[in-house]
Amino acid sequence: MDHLQHTFIAEADELLADLEHILLKCDMDLNNKESVEAIFRVMHTLKGSAGMFGFIHIGELTHHLETIFDSIRETHALLSKEIIDLTLQSVDHLKNIIHDRELGRSTNAVRHHGLMSAIATILVEPVAGGDKKAGGKSDIISTYYIIFNLSAGIFKSGNNPLYLIDDVTALGQAVVIPDLSGIPPLSDLAPDCCYTNFELILATTSSPDKIKEVFLFAEDQCGITIEKLSQTDLLSDIRFKSSVLEHALKMSQIGLKRLKSWLKNETNKSDAIARPSNKRESQRSSIRVSSDKLDGLMNLISELVTAQARLTLLARQNNIPEFSNLSENMEKITKQLRDTAFNICLVPLQTLETRFQRLLRDLSRELKKEIDFITDGIETELDKSMIERISDPLLHILRNSVDHGIEASEERVKNGKKKNGTIILKAFHSGTGVYIQIKDDGRGIDTEKIKTQALSKGLITGDTILSEPQILGLVFTPGFSTAEKVTDVSGRGVGMDVVKRNIEAIQGEVKLESRPGEGTTITIRLPLTLSIIDGMRVKIGASEYILPLAAIDKCYEIKTEKLQPGLSQKLALDGHLFPVFNLREAFGEHTEKPKHTQVIKIHHDFPACITVDSVIGEYQAVMKPLTSLYGEKDDFSGATILGDGSVALVMDTAKLIKKLSEKVHATFQ
Amino acid sequence: MEPVTPTTESYLTFDLGDEIFATNVNNVLEILEIPKITKVPRCPPFMRGVINLRGSVLPVIDARSKFGLGETNDTVNSCIMVLEISMQEQDIKIGAVVDAVQEVIKITPADILAAPSIGSKYRGEFIQGMVKCDEQFIMLLDLDKIFSADDTSILQQVAEA
Repeated sequence: MDHLQHTFIAEADELLADLEHILLKCDMDLNNKESVEAIFRVMHTLKGSAGMFGFIHIGELTHHLETIFDSIRETHALLSKEIIDLTLQSVDHLKNIIHDRELGRSTNAVRHHGLMSAIATILVEPVAGGDKKAGGKSDIISTYYIIFNLSAGIFKSGNNPLYLIDDVTALGQAVVIPDLSGIPPLSDLAPDCCYTNFELILATTSSPDKIKEVFLFAEDQCGITIEKLSQTDLLSDIRFKSSVLEHALKMSQIGLKRLKSWLKNETNKSDAIARPSNKRESQRSSIRVSSDKLDGLMNLISELVTAQARLTLLARQNNIPEFSNLSENMEKITKQLRDTAFNICLVPLQTLETRFQRLLRDLSRELKKEIDFITDGIETELDKSMIERISDPLLHILRNSVDHGIEASEERVKNGKKKNGTIILKAFHSGTGVYIQIKDDGRGIDTEKIKTQALSKGLITGDTILSEPQILGLVFTPGFSTAEKVTDVSGRGVGMDVVKRNIEAIQGEVKLESRPGEGTTITIRLPLTLSIIDGMRVKIGASEYILPLAAIDKCYEIKTEKLQPGLSQKLALDGHLFPVFNLREAFGEHTEKPKHTQVIKIHHDFPACITVDSVIGEYQAVMKPLTSLYGEKDDFSGATILGDGSVALVMDTAKLIKKLSEKVHATFQ
Repeated sequence: MEPVTPTTESYLTFDLGDEIFATNVNNVLEILEIPKITKVPRCPPFMRGVINLRGSVLPVIDARSKFGLGETNDTVNSCIMVLEISMQEQDIKIGAVVDAVQEVIKITPADILAAPSIGSKYRGEFIQGMVKCDEQFIMLLDLDKIFSADDTSILQQVAEA
C-alpha cells in the first residue's frame, strides 16, 4: 500500500501542477469553456484516486470543488475571480495535505475547514440560484434508468458508492431506490462488504456519456447499466413517479421490464449502453520513471563511453580491419545511445512556467502593479538536474523584477510608458550553452544609488574607480540591497549573491545589464549538460586538453615563429583581426615549441582565438569533477579519462577567455 | 600475533629525502606506482597534477616540495600514497608522492616523544611527535593539519597570480 501511496502522491503532484496551469489560463480568459471542462476532469481524477488510496480529506475537498465546476459547466455560468482564487488556494492547500493526509498539523486542519466552508458558501449560491431545470436554456430532458450493481469488495477499493450517487443525482432530478434484498442475515454479514445495489431513475439534460463519467473510477467494482427510458422528463409525470415510489417501498428491484410496462406509450427502443471496459484509459504515450533510475542509466553510459575510448585506441594500435570496423560501429552506436539517453534527461523550461505565472499573478496583486508576462522559447530543454537547481534563482530574479524593476502604474503613465509593465522570459541555445534572459521594462538600475549603497555598506571605498558593468556587478555582492524598505518580497540583501552562487554551482554565469528608465536584463548562461560533452582533443606541451566542440568556430595553422612572445596579440585571419591568447604562455608551458601552432577560433561573447600545439581529434569526454582542492580553478570545468587511462583537463573556454582578457586588460592599466 | 593493547596504533613509515616519516594507517587508503600524472596549469609547484584512480580523478601533491625538501626526480621506489583527510569538514582523497614506502610499525602512545621545537627544519605544527626506532627518529605527521584550511587558500592565491 505504501508504494501505491507514493504513486498517488507523484500523480497528484502532477495533477495539481496541471490544475494550477489551467487555472492561471482561466484567470486571463474567464470565458474559456474548455478550461472549465479540463478543471472538472482533473478534479474528478484527483477525487477518484484520493478516495482509492485513502486520502479522505483530499477526496472531500476535491469532491466539493468538482461540484462547483460541474455546476458551472452545466449552467454555462461564467467563472468568477473569486472561484479561481478559492480554487488556487485550495490547490496550495492540497499540495500541503498530500504530505499530511490526516491533517495532523493544526494549521492544515484550520485551513482545511476554512476552505471547506468557503466552498460551501459558493456552492449554495449558484446552485440554488440556477436551478438547472428551471434554467430553461438547457436542451431536452431525457429520463434514464440506471442499475448500479456493486461488487462486495467496493469498500476495500476506497470508493464510497454514496458519493457516486450524489454525483449522479446532481446531474438532474432523480429517484434513488436501494435494493436491500442482497443483505444476508446478521450472522453471515461481513462488515466490510457491500450488499446493497441501487436503481436510479434520472431525469437530466446530460448525455449518457456524462453519466458514465461519474462512474469512471468505480467501473471495476460495479456493474453499470444505463438505459434510456424516454426523451421526456418522466419524473415530472406524477403517475409514473408514484408507481415508482410505491414499488420502491417494497424493496425489491423494479427491473427494466416493469418500468417499460409502466411506460405504456413508450415505443423507444432502449439502447443498452454497456461500457466497454477497455476504453477506460486511453493508451499513454509516456511512462513515469524515477530519477534514480535515470541517474543510474547515465552513469552506465558514462562508463560505456570511457570503455569505448579504450576500444577505439586498441583498434587503432592493432591494425586489424575487422576489429577496426567493429570498433567504429560500436562507436557510432555508443554515440547514438548517449544522445538518446541525454534526450531522456532533458526537460523543457516550460515545466517551470506555471510557477513563474503564479508568482507574477500573486505578486502583481499584492503590490498592485499590472504586469504582462511574456515567455519566449520556453520549450528550450535543459538537463533535469539543472531545471531543479535553476528554478529558485529564476523565481528570485522575477520577484526582483516585479518588486524593484516595474514601477507602479501611475508612475509609468507619468513617465510616458504604457500602463502595464512587461516582463519577458526568453530562453535559447547558442554555442555551448543555454541562455535564459529575464527582461523588464521597468525603471532600470540607478548606478549612482548602487555606488552610494556600496559605499555605506563598506563594499567599496570612496576612491574606487569602477566601470559601469563593475558597478552593476556589485549587486551580486553578499549583503547588498538597495530597497529602501524591506518588504516580504525582496530587499533583504540575501538575494542576488545567492542567485549568483547557485548558478555558478552548475557552472553557469549570470550577467546584468540595465539602462535607467528603460529596464533591466539579466542573462544566465548555462552549460548544455553536466555529464558528457563532445570535445576536441588538443595538445599543449606534454599535456592533453579537451575543448568543447560546440565552442569552436574554425582552426587555422600558422608557423610558430609568427607568434610574438607574450600572452596576447592580434592576428589577421581570414581578413579580420582577432585577439589571440597564447595558451603556452598562459599555462606556463616551457617545453620545446613545435614548428607549427594551431590557432583555434572560439566564439562566445566576442570572437577570440587560443593557440595549441596540435589538434588530435574529436573526443567524447565524460566529465569528472576536479576535487575541491581545485574548487576555484574555474577555467577548467572538469577532467576526463582518456582511452589510455590518463587524465585530460576539460577547458571552460568562455571562462578561460574571460579570465585571460581581464588579465591582459589589467596589465595594460 | 603479538598482543596488542587497545591504545596501540599502526603507522606507515615512508622516506622523504634522508628522513623517515610516519602516518597513521587509518589515513592511508592504498599505495600506487606512479602513473602518468596530468599537470594542472597555473598551480603551485607542489601540486603535481591529477591521475586516474579507477575512473575518478585524484589530485596528487609532491610531499617533498610541500615540506620544503627540494625537488628530485622520481625513482623506481617513488610511489603515491592515497590518503583520506578531512579538509574544511569534508573528507577528501588526495595522493602524495613519496620517495619510498617502508613498513607498518606499531606505536604505543608512551613511545611518542614530543617534537623538538628548536632547531627543527620542519614546521613544528605538522609533527605530532617523534618515535625512536632502531637508533633512528621517525617523525609522526598530522595529515589533517598539513592540509588545513589556510593552506588551501595559499594554493588558491598562487593559482590566481
